[in-house]
Amino acid sequence: MINIFSQLMMDANKSLYGLTIEPQNASKGPVVLGNGDFFIEIPVAFGCAFSDLTLTGANGTALPTAAELIDKGIETGVGSRMCNAIKVACYYLEAGLIAKPDMIITSNSCCDSMTTLGILMNGYKPWADVPKFTMDAPHSFDEESYRYFGQQLRNAVTFMETATGRKMDWDRLREVCVESNKQRQLLLEFQELKKAVPCPADPDLARQGTEYTTWTFDRVTPTVTAWLEQLVTATEQRVKEGKGIDGVNEKVRFLWQDLAGSWASGTVLARLQKELGAVCIMDYVSYATWTPIDLTSEETMFTSFGKRFLLEDAMNRQALHTADLFCNDILQIVKEFKCDAVIMPAHIGHRDTNSRLKIVRDVCRENGIPCLIIGMDIWDKRYMTPDVVFDRMKTFFEVSGLI
Amino acid sequence: MRSGLKSEVFEKLAVIAGSISNPEVVRWKQQGGRVIVYTCSFVPEELLVAAGLLPFRIRATGSQSAGRADDYFEAANICSLVRHCFNKILTGEYQFLDGCVIGGGCDANRHILDNWEQSEARIPFLHRIFFPHSSGNLMAQNFRNQLENLKQLLEDHFGVKITNEKLQDAIVLCNEIRDLQKSLYALRKVDNPAITAAETISVIVAGYSMPKEAYKADLTLLLEELSGVTMPEKKPVVRLMVVGPGHDEPSLCDIIETMGGAAVTDLTCYGGKTLFGSVREADPDPLQALADYQVIDRPLCPKNLDAHPIINREVMNKIKEYRVDGLIGQSYLCCETWSGELFVLQKELKEAGIPMLRIEREYTSDSLGQVQTRVQAFIETISGGLL
Ligand code: SF4
Ligand code: SF4
Repeated sequence: MINIFSQLMMDANKSLYGLTIEPQNASKGPVVLGNGDFFIEIPVAFGCAFSDLTLTGANGTALPTAAELIDKGIETGVGSRMCNAIKVACYYLEAGLIAKPDMIITSNSCCDSMTTLGILMNGYKPWADVPKFTMDAPHSFDEESYRYFGQQLRNAVTFMETATGRKMDWDRLREVCVESNKQRQLLLEFQELKKAVPCPADPDLARQGTEYTTWTFDRVTPTVTAWLEQLVTATEQRVKEGKGIDGVNEKVRFLWQDLAGSWASGTVLARLQKELGAVCIMDYVSYATWTPIDLTSEETMFTSFGKRFLLEDAMNRQALHTADLFCNDILQIVKEFKCDAVIMPAHIGHRDTNSRLKIVRDVCRENGIPCLIIGMDIWDKRYMTPDVVFDRMKTFFEVSGLI
Repeated sequence: MRSGLKSEVFEKLAVIAGSISNPEVVRWKQQGGRVIVYTCSFVPEELLVAAGLLPFRIRATGSQSAGRADDYFEAANICSLVRHCFNKILTGEYQFLDGCVIGGGCDANRHILDNWEQSEARIPFLHRIFFPHSSGNLMAQNFRNQLENLKQLLEDHFGVKITNEKLQDAIVLCNEIRDLQKSLYALRKVDNPAITAAETISVIVAGYSMPKEAYKADLTLLLEELSGVTMPEKKPVVRLMVVGPGHDEPSLCDIIETMGGAAVTDLTCYGGKTLFGSVREADPDPLQALADYQVIDRPLCPKNLDAHPIINREVMNKIKEYRVDGLIGQSYLCCETWSGELFVLQKELKEAGIPMLRIEREYTSDSLGQVQTRVQAFIETISGGLL
């Protein structure tokens, strides 16, 4: 029998994997193509479709033809050590498989690889006449930075108005922000519930929830709000009953300090949970630190946007900033979510993480937290296979006395 | 490769460029001067000069191994320029420094600061500024704010006052040096110049490693000497230009020149990229003049998403000016943004009928074995009219 959590997972997955290599075609309205995240509430309110080419590349690595696509990405010659999500995106672009957008908005958020994709998109000859807007996401998180980035987002609205000849409907933007605030609040509530021991619901639902609210065509709609409400209600019930995840005898709780990528969830993490009772409580994308958008004035609204983008968008929070913030988050998560260990997948494309490995290892050691650094490719399972990753983690849990 | 140039001043500059510590730095320190190291061409030297400091651009000359830095940066995934430089810091080769400003352009570079702060080599003055990833007045203003903050920190830490007047003087001095360096580059427009590419690199690198006034005097003298040299007529088989990130050692140029080619110019972080235009002089707000120069006039770095058209224009201008037959796009393994930039540039050059060879390599010169074979094939192909 399918329980409510499986049903929710299927619904989110359906929406998530509805993102094909030409997601623009599935959407209505002018298409904004980005090289990474944008502040999604803006295009939604503007009636534009926003598509993130990095995400499109990453989704390619989840297809049955992933290996072939990655190899084609390598053949483009874009850079041998480039993140494979970008290589696939590069292949799609160079092969002419991406429909011409109406606008291009690029920024450095959140990694050098995405910046590279921005360079490729901005320099792509067949799109030479497409209006382009670039943004600078600062590597800092204070009021001044939020204002600075907020101002750029405000300028992006003006750019979109010029590019489309339409006007932003400010009431609609407020409406979208209200819906968005509701959804973020629900994600926070689910996160709070995850602190229970045993974990009441598959923690991967948090990742799916975040992706569902941010990346799918259903984003910022009442459909997603309803999904999140069901999730919270069902989880609250589980906590009341003191029940854990169905069929899981929870023994270990760990933090996976990276993206799950395209294959780890369904293979390594699922097996660890089922076979060893080792539950991945938290990952990069799931970690919710949302604060509500302040709708008092246009200025407070855009400064809130800046804060949300720079500090609360999980990927930007982890990748754009200092090792201090990164390590404090690790310690905070371990403490609040009662994690027994930290796993650093250290995705090969993550220059930021690969520049902080010693710092993380030292911080974990000083705080008595077992830490395993893997060094894998979250998009290409040929680099280190799921079985090898599983075995390394199993051995680590055994040696650390956790199982 | 050496041109046969006989010049005391050149020998002096070559010694400076060939090592990390050098007699000029030692003398400066003995006189009570202080040295500040920085990591990226977007850190405005003018501000450091106005603070009475000796700006020293970081490099890892002579490095054979990233050694201890590989505990901090994962060797397989992080650019070797960063790792080798950081190793020099950890092993004490920069023991003469009194502070450092990290120009956090890329993900690897900006983390030098985090790692340095955690290491035993930690020093009291470590600061990081960020070069904007987009150009425009808003970004220039943001960069100016960062410079204002840096100015304050320098004043507080080093007990100096950086007046507008001092800043304006430093801007004039650095503009003059830039102009002299442009004249040095211009010498290689002819077929058999009095100075080779490898020698030019040494002269340029020395400029980042010694007091500016002394450098200006040396460079002026060298240019005078070079203007009196007459070289026999000799046509290189091909005239090449190098494009890419920091390129502070002459091995690649040596390879090109030993094969009968000539490396006639470049657009790299230690060379041609920094010899671009001038900073506005006598501006009532010199910090704004510096910010505008770096962010709006000279965003010649692919970390800036608006840079490509300017890089492309500069490359095309240089191709004409220096009669370039082909380009070598050189980047370090794991350097994302330069990989992307060279990828786009190569396609555009192909359309314009200009051949380009792309090389991904490690920082050390002993990684050049394989490169040599490819450069040789490239030169043979171009000179044989096969491209
Ligand atoms: S390096 Fe990481 S953040 Fe960047 S594109 Fe790849 S997976 Fe995404
Ligand atoms: S070569 Fe590339 S990766 Fe290395 S420091 Fe320079 S920009 Fe960064």
